[in-house]
Amino acid sequence: MILALLLAQSQLFADANTAYLSGDMPRAIASYEALVSEGIASAELETNLGAAYLRSGKRGLAALHFERALFLDPGDDDARADLIEVRRGNVDKLEGESEEGGTETLARVLAPLPGFTAALVLLALWCAGWVLLALRIVWSRPVGLWAGLSFALAGVAALVVFGAAEGRRMGLQRAVVVAQASPAREGPNEKSVSHFEVHEGTTVRVEDEDAGFRRVKLANGLTGWLPSSAVELVVPPGWAGRPVMAGAPRADQP
Amino acid sequence: MKSSAIGSAVLLLLAAPAFAAGEVELSATADGDSVALDGTLTLQITATYQSKGDPGELQLPAFSDFDVVSRSQSEQVSFAFVNGAPSFRRTIVTTLALTPKRAGDATIEPAKLEYHGKTYQSAAIKIHVLGAGAAPPASAQRKRPPDPFAQLGGAPATPDELDPFADVHPGQRDLLLRAAVDNDRPYVGQQITYSLYLLARINVSGIDKLQLPRLDGFWSEEIEAPQQLVGEARILDGVPYRAFLLRKRALFALRPGHVEIEPAEVEVLTGFGMLFSRGSSRRTSQGVTLEVQPLPPGKPAGFDPGNVGQWTLTSTVDPQSVNVGQPVTFRLVATGHGNVRDLRLPKLAAIAGLRAYDATTTDKESIEKGQVNGTRTVEQLLVPERTGTVEIPALAMDVFDPQARQYRTLHTDAVVLRVAPAAVGTAASEPVAQNLLAPGGVRPIRLKLGSAQRGPPPWSRQWFWPLLALPPFGLALLMGVSGMRRMFRIDPEVKKLRLARRAATRRLRGAQALLARGEAAAFYAEIARAITGYLADKQKVVAAGLTRDELASALAARGQSDETVRKLLRVLDDCDRARFAPGSGDLPLREAMLGRADQIIGELEDRA
Repeated sequence: MILALLLAQSQLFADANTAYLSGDMPRAIASYEALVSEGIASAELETNLGAAYLRSGKRGLAALHFERALFLDPGDDDARADLIEVRRGNVDKLEGESEEGGTETLARVLAPLPGFTAALVLLALWCAGWVLLALRIVWSRPVGLWAGLSFALAGVAALVVFGAAEGRRMGLQRAVVVAQASPAREGPNEKSVSHFEVHEGTTVRVEDEDAGFRRVKLANGLTGWLPSSAVELVVPPGWAGRPVMAGAPRADQP
Repeated sequence: MKSSAIGSAVLLLLAAPAFAAGEVELSATADGDSVALDGTLTLQITATYQSKGDPGELQLPAFSDFDVVSRSQSEQVSFAFVNGAPSFRRTIVTTLALTPKRAGDATIEPAKLEYHGKTYQSAAIKIHVLGAGAAPPASAQRKRPPDPFAQLGGAPATPDELDPFADVHPGQRDLLLRAAVDNDRPYVGQQITYSLYLLARINVSGIDKLQLPRLDGFWSEEIEAPQQLVGEARILDGVPYRAFLLRKRALFALRPGHVEIEPAEVEVLTGFGMLFSRGSSRRTSQGVTLEVQPLPPGKPAGFDPGNVGQWTLTSTVDPQSVNVGQPVTFRLVATGHGNVRDLRLPKLAAIAGLRAYDATTTDKESIEKGQVNGTRTVEQLLVPERTGTVEIPALAMDVFDPQARQYRTLHTDAVVLRVAPAAVGTAASEPVAQNLLAPGGVRPIRLKLGSAQRGPPPWSRQWFWPLLALPPFGLALLMGVSGMRRMFRIDPEVKKLRLARRAATRRLRGAQALLARGEAAAFYAEIARAITGYLADKQKVVAAGLTRDELASALAARGQSDETVRKLLRVLDDCDRARFAPGSGDLPLREAMLGRADQIIGELEDRA
């Protein structure tokens, strides 16, 4: 049964690719989205879906899926190149990105860290170190050097895990503007004053959420409240332990 | 008397015969009845003939009080029919320019005319000669001949403009350096024109060492600085002069008040060219006095005192439709008459949605019809940062117009800039390169579906942190148990010491069992082992191998009483005897031995 399911998914993916290559973007997008809705997490699927959206002129959704592909596989060179291509055509050109630029760079550095592996290695080395320490203390076995080595390696693994966790935390806050244009307001209210406008494809950091609005911060520090439908989280509910929440509709696309 | 001279100065004195015959009329008129010593008087002698033929011979007056500066003559002939008869008339006018020789009352003697053997004579004219530089009274002002410069065309003179030679009376001087301004009561910042002329009635071959005055308190701009001397005819007090313009400068007074412009000096070379130069003479102009007026009250708030003149203000934005990120040029242009260097243009305030770069200012000046014209252009690059329409607001600038003598506010129009999103795939603020083979574009799709871990990482799972904490807790527990074990572990020696009495008692109970079974030797041997064993465990005295004395000494050394030691030795001896003497002792004795042994062990225990 599982095998049949896998075969069906592969067939659907192949159909979507065929539609993409034939220029039938709506069909390709529908097929890719069907696979996504089945719970498939794949950097290839997200990259192809982003490319299909980009070909359809939906830059915001394209950027979103390229970001998701990078979240799943930080080393995905295709997704990164396509994301750069999307950003090159972004309407929003940020001035003075220094405020958050360090964070962005740090996130890029931390994202590829092998957090899963490092966490398991940390566990093994940590336990081994304590066992060796017990042998040394309780039974006076000459294993002090090995115990020290284990703890040192465990410390390195802990640093990697910390970095990966921090990168993951940043990734969980990332979001992409998917609405074509949306005014950023001073408060979570349609009547609040808007000082600037953001456009699709711009990456933001979600800092708060309230009453159908999300408080976002741009890389240069500009902050405002956007309608929740205008900005999509890179890590959707159900991924990376993020709880599945009802009522998070995707922005209407033109 | 003099006032009536102008109109009726024509003293028509005809000789009686002439009147009778009506052939000749001779008259002499002067253009004034007074003249300054350095001034010039014009005398016209008119002879009118009624018949044809050669005119008579005119004899000029002696001019004992005057010098004749110039002489000219004109003639007019006319025919007319009166009552059917032709009438002939010839008029010959001789014009003389006279300069007085001395101050005081002077007389122009009568002129004479010889015609057909007859002598005609004009009347003498009385002239009052004033001091040098003095102006004739208003009632005696002479009508000036038409200004030849005014006939040359050009802009009509404004009320403020002064004729640079209006008050010039060169008198006998053949070289005169004249400084003049066109407005001696200008406002601060208003242009006035300072001119320096050389007036000459002798030939001038050149000038040298022209020294202009210091123009402190002014910003000045050169209008004309002729490289060659070009003279213009000029009649001053009836005397023809050549006027050479040496310099013309525009002056803008920087502060109000009384201002004295010092005289200018020049070395004048006279004669015909270099070969026939007769020499040089130095001339100094008169000083010029100005009363610079402050700007009138009623200045608008924020008015800048440098904004004086006739100005216009315009603003443009080019282009008016751009993509976001593409720069546009905002130009603010002020143009007009005045000192452009002191002009202060309004600044563009910060506009939401536009990033403004530093403005650049360029000034252009030009001279047109003696007026300093200027154009100040302020250019500023603006880069739209958001899409939609962005309005560049209207700007206002207050100026003072010295011609209209009032303040005016100049306004520009607001400009709407339309900003569109950048084209897909193009960098908004960079020019499009030609044949650019740069990396980019959407990469091809992947055909193999991979899988990725999207679940929560280990460190966010519930078991991770307890698992990490388990080893140190385990070690701590192990160490705790070990410590407890060490804490509760009993030393065998101590245990042996502690259990010596119990072991002795157990042996005595064994001996009692042996007694019950009737095994006498074993009974006594067990009694002896109970005692010696107790001694070994408790007193650390091994009885085996010791003599009775040594045993007694050892026990005494451990504080046992002699009585107890003696009893112990006796029991041991009795046991040895009973073991090796079969049948010795009956049951009561054996039971008593058992009691004795227990008593001795009790005593030893008490003293241990």
